[in-house]
Amino acid sequence: MITIRRSEERGHFDRGWLNTYHTFSFGSYSDQAHAGFRALHVLNDDRIAPGRGFGAHGHRDMEIFTYVLEGGLAHNDSTGERHVLKPNEIQAMSAGTGVIHSEFNASQTEPVHLLQIWILPAAEDVPPRYQQFAYDPSEKQGRLRLLVGPDPDPPEPAAFIHQDARAYASVLAPGKTLEQPIVPGRHAWVHCANGNITLNGHALKGGDGAAVSGERALMLAGCGPSGGELLLIDLA
Amino acid sequence: MTAINVLIVFYSRRGKSEALALAAGVGAIQARANVRLRRLPDLADPETIQSDAAWSENVERMSKDYIAPREEDAQWADVLILSAPPDRTEEMEQYLDSARDVIQGRTGVVLGTFAAKAAVVGVTVALPTDDAGDAAAATAYARRTVEAVRAAKTGAAGAP
Repeated sequence: MITIRRSEERGHFDRGWLNTYHTFSFGSYSDQAHAGFRALHVLNDDRIAPGRGFGAHGHRDMEIFTYVLEGGLAHNDSTGERHVLKPNEIQAMSAGTGVIHSEFNASQTEPVHLLQIWILPAAEDVPPRYQQFAYDPSEKQGRLRLLVGPDPDPPEPAAFIHQDARAYASVLAPGKTLEQPIVPGRHAWVHCANGNITLNGHALKGGDGAAVSGERALMLAGCGPSGGELLLIDLA
Repeated sequence: MTAINVLIVFYSRRGKSEALALAAGVGAIQARANVRLRRLPDLADPETIQSDAAWSENVERMSKDYIAPREEDAQWADVLILSAPPDRTEEMEQYLDSARDVIQGRTGVVLGTFAAKAAVVGVTVALPTDDAGDAAAATAYARRTVEAVRAAKTGAAGAP
């Protein structure tokens, strides 16, 4: 079964400095029908104005990863990590016993567009951990590039998270197709980040998502004038 | 679990008191408290700040990371974490005076040399068991204080 979550049906707040869409309940946006999917808890699609951002705040017991589509996001945290996250990089943070961090648009002139995904951890009270690394953009062209997962020895460099969930990124040119089998009993969330794709024949545009359960495979294709960019999250 | 709200108020120029405040904040989060972080504005004039590269650079960053404490923050808080440099307590002392009516009776984790002043305005200063000038000790101090305040609040709520 594939259940589509349309871009325009998401929780939406335009605060001037922040234009955000919540696929699932988040903060003041509460929607019992869309309060997460399996261990996937939050999927926020944020555009932050130049120089602005989220001031220092705390997290506990959450696996948080961030995928920048455009611009740069500066991160400071209580473990002393200070970095700027850009496209074709992955950042994952295990909040565990507790982390305080801030996130700001690193530019004074250009906006930043990012996806932030929160996954419920399988274990509480783990030591806080921060990971960030870059990959070559060609690694997600026409294939699924693993970003985060629970495997201690992943098939390609990926951030470790404390949950049986794997997130992949892919950029599909128009007409490019990709088939991904789903292990029986597992589920998937597909989020179209940009452009246009199809998922098992369903058209998804930028901001659309889809919950996938009881399917044997995902058939993904780029379509429209310039194809699309997607995140796929494989979930128990 | 009884919710405990922790307001962290600090004054820092070059980041040391900020780091201690963050370490204590992490201790509060470890104890599953809700936290708000606030920085006290500089009393020094802009020219003095500009003449010190490390200070002005930190002020620029911290002015984005933190807003100044508001009255509603103190009203919201069960516990205060207060951090200021040992040799510069003026900003903190002014805050304690100005917020006196709201903060009296709150339990305070004091990281600095202004414990007596905090007590004078009515903050119940929790006692550190060892030198809280180090980050790990500040974390433990805040965690233990939040746990004690929660135990007291839970006990009070459960009393007949």
